[in-house]
Amino acid sequence: MITLRSLTKRYGAKTVVDDLTFDVEPGTVTGFLGPNGAGKSTTMRMVLGLDHPTSGLALVGGRPYAELPHPLRQVGALLDAKALHPGRTAEKNLLAMARSNDIPDRRVGELLEQVGLTEAARKRTGAFSLGMSQRLGIAGALLGDPKVLMFDEPVNGLDPDGVLWVRGLMRSLAAEGRTVLVSSHLMSEMQLTADRLVVIGKGRLLADAPIEEFIANNSVSAVHVRLPDAGDRRVLAERLRRDGAEVELPSDGELVVRDMPVERVGDAAHALGVRLHGLSPRTASLEQAYLELTASAVEYGVSERALGV
Amino acid sequence: MAATHAEWTKLWSVRSTWWCLGSAVVLMAGQAGLTAISESTDLPASRIAVDGVFYLVQFVVLALAALFVAGEYATGSIRSTLQWVPVRRRVLVAKCAVLAPTLFVLGVVLAALAIAVSVPLLNDRVPDTSIGEAVRTALAAGAYCALLGMFTVGVSVALRSVAGALTVTFLLLLVAPLLLGGMGLVAALDYLPGIAGVNVMLGEGEPSPLSGNPVPYNEFAGIGVLAGWVVAALAAGDAVLRRRDA
Ligand SMILES: Nc1ncnc2c1ncn2[C@@H]1O[C@H](COP(=O)(O)OP(=O)(O)OP(=O)(O)O)[C@@H](O)[C@H]1O
Ligand SMILES: [Mg+2]
Repeated sequence: MITLRSLTKRYGAKTVVDDLTFDVEPGTVTGFLGPNGAGKSTTMRMVLGLDHPTSGLALVGGRPYAELPHPLRQVGALLDAKALHPGRTAEKNLLAMARSNDIPDRRVGELLEQVGLTEAARKRTGAFSLGMSQRLGIAGALLGDPKVLMFDEPVNGLDPDGVLWVRGLMRSLAAEGRTVLVSSHLMSEMQLTADRLVVIGKGRLLADAPIEEFIANNSVSAVHVRLPDAGDRRVLAERLRRDGAEVELPSDGELVVRDMPVERVGDAAHALGVRLHGLSPRTASLEQAYLELTASAVEYGVSERALGV
Repeated sequence: MAATHAEWTKLWSVRSTWWCLGSAVVLMAGQAGLTAISESTDLPASRIAVDGVFYLVQFVVLALAALFVAGEYATGSIRSTLQWVPVRRRVLVAKCAVLAPTLFVLGVVLAALAIAVSVPLLNDRVPDTSIGEAVRTALAAGAYCALLGMFTVGVSVALRSVAGALTVTFLLLLVAPLLLGGMGLVAALDYLPGIAGVNVMLGEGEPSPLSGNPVPYNEFAGIGVLAGWVVAALAAGDAVLRRRDA
């Protein structure tokens, strides 16, 4: 289990991780989501003791990472797949890693096999593609058979087969009772693998909930109305607002109605006798809910957001 | 122990290590042979070995240690190293534990090699080198290489860059003696790391080719001087490694 308590990291005046408090539980895949620059990688580096927190705590199994006796046997992590000496072979790299934590040498061959790198074992990692480096990083994370795993954008650079394999791997690691934290900036990816979501933006916690709850709380639905007459449009909008709906007029001949079921919108139009050319309910996808949630916290985003709702 | 085992594996699994060692052997044998063959030489074999260490081998030692330690900052592999061994001082100790014996053996073997190459080639005007003197010189060369390697470990971690580490050690080994000499501080010269290393290899009372004065202390005191530099560099490295983010 990973425990963060008021974890904060500042670089100069800039607060990159801001008072984060959450737990990552065993037996589940926890998706760690946030736009570019949200602070996901920084948070993970602090869990591993690579970066020192400005304040707050990051604990694994109740202890700081640096105090774990054989850390690789308790926590496996893939952070930066390219953080290797490019001149060392995949095999020697894993061998050094295994020896650093008294892990038997034979695990190296097993892991290379498991990630599909047996053929490339004697190749220097500098010649590896991003996907191969990523596989090697995953092999490293699993080397010590740890109870806690962290993956920073593991599908980055993988081919479709690799993506499927990683999804399956995450699920099976969690099914074995391990604690799995996976970061991504793609909600669609998390929708397929995560049981629980932790969303951050500009270093701040935006949501921490089981995925179903996240969907229920965040998926906004709306009713789209198309109508030919501008006068009718004004009258209908006014009426719906009075009845408590939130109404937008995105373009000519169109209304977007929130907080009101489609039946009531139709009834209102009928009662007013306005002519409709279209009336359709639309539910936002989780991706849109996520975009909406993080919209104000996008570090390097386009300022206008185009939501199809 | 585990951390040292890992560093040992890392040292021998990159080509640069083998290149450094191979070039040290070639350079040392070449310069010893060429010096000994020259008609005008009046240096005994043990002195040829000392010159070879000071003018050639020590730079290979610097390169090897700087690549092994500061090189990790260039490749980013320092983050892996610290993830595997998060107790940072342990990494520093492991790097030294791997480099010191390796470089000691390197120094002993190369000094012995230089002596073995030059003895048969020297003309009969040159005084012989006794077995005892040869052994003493070789051991001293080993000690100097090991200590210089550990010094470079400290500097590398403190500066986190190969170029920075090489610049600082070059300045200390080559430029500082010229500067101090130029300022007339000849007595201080014997306490610079490079000169102290040569002094250890020459032995007490021998005239130093670098300062011109007889060596003012014995081998053990000389090793003490070098150890002082090693401790200072490692302390600086330890302070930086402890505080900085990886
Ligand atoms: N060493 C550093 N010095 C200064 N700023 C830093 C440093 N490391 C990271 N940052 C800043 O911290 C912020 C968070 O970066 P981080 O890499 O944690 O984000 P992320 O959520 O992982 O983003 P991405 O999805 O792009 O990987 C960024 O604005 C980044 O510029
Ligand atoms: Mg990141």
